[in-house]
Amino acid sequence: MRYLPSSPYEDQQLLTAIGVKKAEDCLSGVPSKFLLKSLLNLPRQSSELEVLREMKQMSQKNTSFTSRFLGAGAYAHFIPTAVDMQVGRQEWFTSYTPYQPEISQGTLQHIFEYQTIMCDLTGTDVSNASLYDGGTACLESALMAVRVQKKRNTVLVSEGLHPYYYEVLKSGFASHEELKLISIPLDKGITNLTDLKNRCDDTVAAVLIGYPNFLGNVEDLTACGEITHAAGALLISVTQEAMSLGWLAAPGSVGADIACGEAMSFGNRTSFGGPFLGFIGVRDAYKRELPGRVVGETKDLEGRTGYVLTLTAREQHIRRDKATSNICSNQGLIALRANIWLQLAGPHGLRGIAEQNAAKAQYLRSRLLELPCWEVVDEAPFFNEFVLRYNGDWTEMKKQLVRGGILPGLELDTLDAPWRNQYRKSILWCATELNTRHQIEHLIEIMARFAVVHS
Amino acid sequence: MKLRSREPLIFQRSVEGKAGMDLPKLDVPPAEDTRPSHLRRKDFGVLPSCSEPEIIRHFTRLSLWNYGMDQGMYPLGSCTMKHNPRLNEATSALPGFSESHPMASDEYIQGDLELIYTLQEWLKEVTGLYAVTLQPSAGAAGELTGVLLIRAYHLSRGHHKKYILVPDSAHGTNPATATMAGFQVIDLPSGPDGCVSFEDITDQTSGKVKRGFNSVIQEYGQDIAGLMITNPNTLGIFESRIGDICSEIHRVGGLVYMDGANMNALVGVARPGDFGIDVMHMNLHKTMSTPHGGGGPGAGPVACSKDLEPFLPRPIVARKTKKVGEGEVPEHLYYWDWNRPESIGKVHTFFGNFGMLVRALTYCMSHGSDGLREATLRAIVNANYIRSQLMGFYHLSITSPTMHEVVFNDSIQAKNGVHTLDIAKRLIDYGFHPPTVYFPMVVSGALMIEPTETESKEELDTFIDAMKSIAREALETPELIHQAPTTAPLRRLDETAAARKPILRWLPTPAQS
Repeated sequence: MRYLPSSPYEDQQLLTAIGVKKAEDCLSGVPSKFLLKSLLNLPRQSSELEVLREMKQMSQKNTSFTSRFLGAGAYAHFIPTAVDMQVGRQEWFTSYTPYQPEISQGTLQHIFEYQTIMCDLTGTDVSNASLYDGGTACLESALMAVRVQKKRNTVLVSEGLHPYYYEVLKSGFASHEELKLISIPLDKGITNLTDLKNRCDDTVAAVLIGYPNFLGNVEDLTACGEITHAAGALLISVTQEAMSLGWLAAPGSVGADIACGEAMSFGNRTSFGGPFLGFIGVRDAYKRELPGRVVGETKDLEGRTGYVLTLTAREQHIRRDKATSNICSNQGLIALRANIWLQLAGPHGLRGIAEQNAAKAQYLRSRLLELPCWEVVDEAPFFNEFVLRYNGDWTEMKKQLVRGGILPGLELDTLDAPWRNQYRKSILWCATELNTRHQIEHLIEIMARFAVVHS
Repeated sequence: MKLRSREPLIFQRSVEGKAGMDLPKLDVPPAEDTRPSHLRRKDFGVLPSCSEPEIIRHFTRLSLWNYGMDQGMYPLGSCTMKHNPRLNEATSALPGFSESHPMASDEYIQGDLELIYTLQEWLKEVTGLYAVTLQPSAGAAGELTGVLLIRAYHLSRGHHKKYILVPDSAHGTNPATATMAGFQVIDLPSGPDGCVSFEDITDQTSGKVKRGFNSVIQEYGQDIAGLMITNPNTLGIFESRIGDICSEIHRVGGLVYMDGANMNALVGVARPGDFGIDVMHMNLHKTMSTPHGGGGPGAGPVACSKDLEPFLPRPIVARKTKKVGEGEVPEHLYYWDWNRPESIGKVHTFFGNFGMLVRALTYCMSHGSDGLREATLRAIVNANYIRSQLMGFYHLSITSPTMHEVVFNDSIQAKNGVHTLDIAKRLIDYGFHPPTVYFPMVVSGALMIEPTETESKEELDTFIDAMKSIAREALETPELIHQAPTTAPLRRLDETAAARKPILRWLPTPAQS
């Protein structure tokens, strides 16, 4: 086995020093009835070359696409080469959680920088070191709001939230019998503010609004915030496409008390949905209720500035069953990718990419609408995703597109969502800076050709 | 290792006008500004403006202040810092996997689904359990999933059970998880052998009696939803009465959750399913070598019995076999099964930390049944070797047989005023990452050492020499140890000050802004 530094001579030395004859003699603590008498029923070891071949083969069973127009919570964006090369350094990817700050300053300072940047992107005072993903960030934000808002037990959730985020929320809330999750319906693709107002009473701890929402539409956070705050509740913005923060006002600056979401878009691949990067930013007053790791600045014995994990009094290894959350990791390396990506982009790059996303999506939409089979569903401002209805045989159309190397948008009626009936035959399209005009024309061409054949 | 005095925060390097990323010229008409004016992005705060070489140097310099696995032994007990095979990084980066989309239809993601299905099959065999979900993102997420399964199981039978038993040697995530899942936690004391005590234990200092397993079962009986147990436990000791524990819990209608944080001591040697465990998680970032990444991402798959299977997070991967003609190789078709009416729902936005799953399957296939067993045995031999060499130099308060890690304490050194923290910091000066310290809490001043199977005898000996040398220093020059570390980029840091007046982000000084 190539990973085991084993040799008959040294192995014998180890066993002799321990005072046993063979390795199995070290298992005296395990009742013999539990010891396996034979090898597991699995294939034997394989060489590096064999494994690489087999994995390559398996990976090629996924359909490969030359252009992708699918987002819905997982976005393909440009990743500068420097990101992959930097995170490939062993100092970053092989190290553990920075419990020993003297030899983990690299990780700690990077997280401190990441927290700073996330605060400014979200318009909040304090960010943690990251959470698992957008859905769990949503759940942790809602649970945190309930902790902050003692005596209030209801969380209102806009139906514009990613249906999968909602499902994570539901499974997380199921075990808290005292807590209630109530959904607020959409009207023309955005949260129905009249309904929101009617449901906002003094039992409501928080309101969760997608920004932009799952359908790509930009919600008026300010208006949501006014209603929410008037009822004494907290507004939680949920951003599933962090690239939109390059285009839209920082949620914390327009009413959000907690800004959470998914930041995989900064430097990460879609990778079948993970590992991704949940983020959460909050107002200063709530910092001691934050879930997960937080890094803070301090001094060493000689007065030099350094960084440590801090506010640990909230955490499970200290508080055990009284902790704010059971979380004991962050998405370290994924946050590092995001940090490097954001620093490379800088304000100029982030604004530029965001503008390109908006431009490409608007162009794609206008080109689609030139074809007879597409029609508008909702008219709302959007960032890089939008919904159109298709009046034709989508199954066949999709096949044509895939044959042309195109991964099309998402059929909304395949999802288990409350608005499913209003979005029959509707497709959620996404375009990013990666989609060239040529790709868009190619898509339109295939569609036009298909329409001619079938008219 | 001290490259230069300090690498400043990147914000202090930022100069307006610089950029580290450029884009192709926009090839479509510019975006029409449809945003309501109050929702337009105005500025990006302190997001820095720097060029690529400056940013690469910045991160490279920062990286040099980290200690990594490839520099030397990283004996963090319970964290299983083993070699991270480079092949695993390569397979997870294969474009077929890394560019696949979680919302794509089943027919376009056959490779991903096959990978998930295959890894589930491996983990079922490794754990001896009936079904596996790969959705949980980390160990703690796996624990929560597992305990939610237990909850759903009881509720489906109309039982509202209140309590989860947790041994006092457990990792803090166990009680935190049980609370998050809506249960009340009952502590179980450890006995002198380091295992769960069946008898009541009288605390020698306070005189307080802690109820042992037998009394707790008797008192709470049918109200016990389950027990969370780590095996081998955090002392590196196999819970010798695990069979009795499981049958007792089952007798009162409860279920047993196993925290598989230490599963690397069992793979190929013994199977939790055979002990009577109903549900457990594994940490792929420990046992299956996926890199720790400075604190994540991990992966915490959950394995469970047939009774718990209906409640697993949805969706699950299913497989049907296409009909083929004679002599042809049967082809499988994988698909997501969302129709799981009893499911606890989703515990991850998509399907888990997929990139970590690719690495874990690569690890499994590389090792195979023979390599997995060999790795486990070697991890146990390495820990026992360290135990045999450091006995006498450090105090071993619990002498039950050691599996994959060994827990010493500082009681010999404490006589000279040298404590666990000092020993840990001094190890840094010797070029090692310290062991896990002050955990488990059942051993005062614990030094928890886990060498793993990927350390050579030479590296083990170097570490042992360092530990012996520190033991000598503790006798002869204790003041030297109190100064440690002196060779690291920084001296000891003031964690109390950090928590009292938290500075959690950089702010430009007025002059700079």
